[in-house]
Amino acid sequence: MNSMVKGGILLVIALMAATYFMAGDAFTLGDDYINDLTMLGAVAIIGITVFVSLKYINQIKNDTATGELASENWDGIGEYTNPVPMGWAIIFIGTIVWMMWYLFVGYPTNQFSQIGQYNEEVNEYNTKFQNKWDNIDEGQMAKMGQSVFFLQCAPCHGAEADGMDGKAQDLTARMSKEQILDVIKNGSNKLGYSMGAMPPGMASGEGAEKIATWISTGMKGDAPAEFGACSSCHGPDGKGMNGMAANLSGYDNTLLSKVLEHGKKGSIGTMPSFKGRLNKTQVTAVSAYLQSIQGE
Amino acid sequence: MFHWLEQRPFFFAVMLFLTIAFAGFIEIVPDFAKASQPTVGTKPHTVLELAGRQVYIKDSCNACHSQLIRPFKSETDRYGMYSLSGEYAYDRPFLWGSKRTGPDLHRVGNYRTTDWHENHMMAPAEVVPGSIMPKYPHMFTNTADIATAYANANTQKSLFGVPYDKEGMPKLGSWEDAKAQALKDAKKVAADMKNQSVKDKVAKGKVPEIVALIAYLNSLK
Ligand code: HEC
Ligand code: HEC
Ligand code: HEC
Repeated sequence: MNSMVKGGILLVIALMAATYFMAGDAFTLGDDYINDLTMLGAVAIIGITVFVSLKYINQIKNDTATGELASENWDGIGEYTNPVPMGWAIIFIGTIVWMMWYLFVGYPTNQFSQIGQYNEEVNEYNTKFQNKWDNIDEGQMAKMGQSVFFLQCAPCHGAEADGMDGKAQDLTARMSKEQILDVIKNGSNKLGYSMGAMPPGMASGEGAEKIATWISTGMKGDAPAEFGACSSCHGPDGKGMNGMAANLSGYDNTLLSKVLEHGKKGSIGTMPSFKGRLNKTQVTAVSAYLQSIQGE
Repeated sequence: MFHWLEQRPFFFAVMLFLTIAFAGFIEIVPDFAKASQPTVGTKPHTVLELAGRQVYIKDSCNACHSQLIRPFKSETDRYGMYSLSGEYAYDRPFLWGSKRTGPDLHRVGNYRTTDWHENHMMAPAEVVPGSIMPKYPHMFTNTADIATAYANANTQKSLFGVPYDKEGMPKLGSWEDAKAQALKDAKKVAADMKNQSVKDKVAKGKVPEIVALIAYLNSLK
């Protein structure tokens, strides 16, 4: 036995002893076969590492290469013209074949797509949304509506939905007198009701004042006689005859869906359309929320 | 050949560079060329919008706002459809931004309106409580630089082939035409605004920066 092999055996024993002192108390042999296998693996790794290293160190020390030298020579260091080893050549060609497969068939050109991943995410979310909120109750509905409102509507209507001093519609009440007078004077044709447009000039002067005051104060008591000009479309109770024309007394689901789909331009300013930005449940939820804050 | 190269470090380095560059070239360029085509419906900015864009750059809005919606549900819920590279085809320079102190603005025209911007730019915290966005009252008095915007558009047209004056695209025409058109566009924006001094200025043929900026923000869709 030469001295290197002796050294190797010593090293292996030293390493194993060190391992034992560091981690030996963590398990007892035969306790758990996974632990035993792990330990066996550790022993094998130490042994193989040491002896493979020894083999190559030995080879570097003692081997003498043979063969024909290439013509070039760098500061006395030459190069043999030996053929490429077979194993190496096979791996080289195999890599080229694999590259072709990878480029044209495999990952990533054919499999991963950022947009595909996005679509998956959306589908997954929508399914989850539907499962979770299929049987939603009233209270939850208004809560969902409030959170949608905070994100999408509050920047304009204010966190309290009060329109922030007339910067947008005050949603805790229906339209103000001035707004109604403006609609009577100028008509309205943006919301896409099946009735079509509301013509301008349906009332004027004192009549218009009376109607506007009555509507804006919550339609209490009997309607003024002048409201007859409006009731043919908005209904005697001003509720819009089941969605034929705008509901003048509150924000019902129909009105809200129309406003969200078409946006609105009125005497206060412009509200953008939310078409495609909220799903049906969310629209119903917002309308439930608006109903829950009326008259606050 | 290889033996020859092996003995010449300089040429060896050159060949190495060419090999790697070639690989990069065929991987990147075809996809890049495809993706940078303008998407259908993308139009160059009008002169007024370009003037607003200059204000946007000058006041460093892009330091706090990005213009790039990434394809994640959380982003598209808030900002709308994710951005496509072809949408930036006429942006010189693009304003992707790199930091979102404030929200993304790539489609802000879809969900904010002229009157809202007017209130917000004058005093952001009065519209969005706690907002740390600075106030920009000087935009209501400063006059937008329509002439530079026209020159900018003209350069893009002649130098980069941006399709102004083509069918269905914004008109540029002569400086006089462009000036008249910009004023016409400005009047449309001012009609939805409340600030009387701004309205008066536009009526007198001047375009305050805020009008140009709002025209630009409204065009971001
Ligand atoms: C010809 C039918 C018709 C008559 C008559 C009519 N309206 Fe209307 N009204 C409508 C329609 C349709 C709308 C929805 C318009 C739209 O799409 O913007 C509407 C909208 C309104 C609105 C705006 C509602 C909103 O949420 O924006 C108000 C206010 C209003 N009407 C008040 C009146 C008053 C007051 C009268 C009577 C003087 C009247 N209307 C007469 C059809 C009518
Ligand atoms: C960019 C600002 C803005 C945003 C965002 C906004 N609104 Fe509005 N909204 C307005 C303005 C301004 C008006 C008043 C329009 C007018 O009558 O002049 C208005 C009016 C309304 C009305 C009254 C419509 C009518 O016919 O009386 C409702 C209801 C409404 N908004 C609901 C919402 C909801 C729900 C959201 C969120 C999903 C929302 N708004 C988001 C600006 C906005
Ligand atoms: C110091 C950073 C900062 C700068 C600079 C800045 N903003 Fe903002 N911006 C914000 C923040 C924070 C918000 C969110 C709060 C708010 O809406 O005010 C915001 C919101 C906005 C919004 C509303 C977006 C939305 O989705 O609600 C718009 C539009 C906007 N900024 C435009 C601009 C413009 C135009 C400029 C340049 C003149 C600008 N901002 C400069 C920080 C900034």
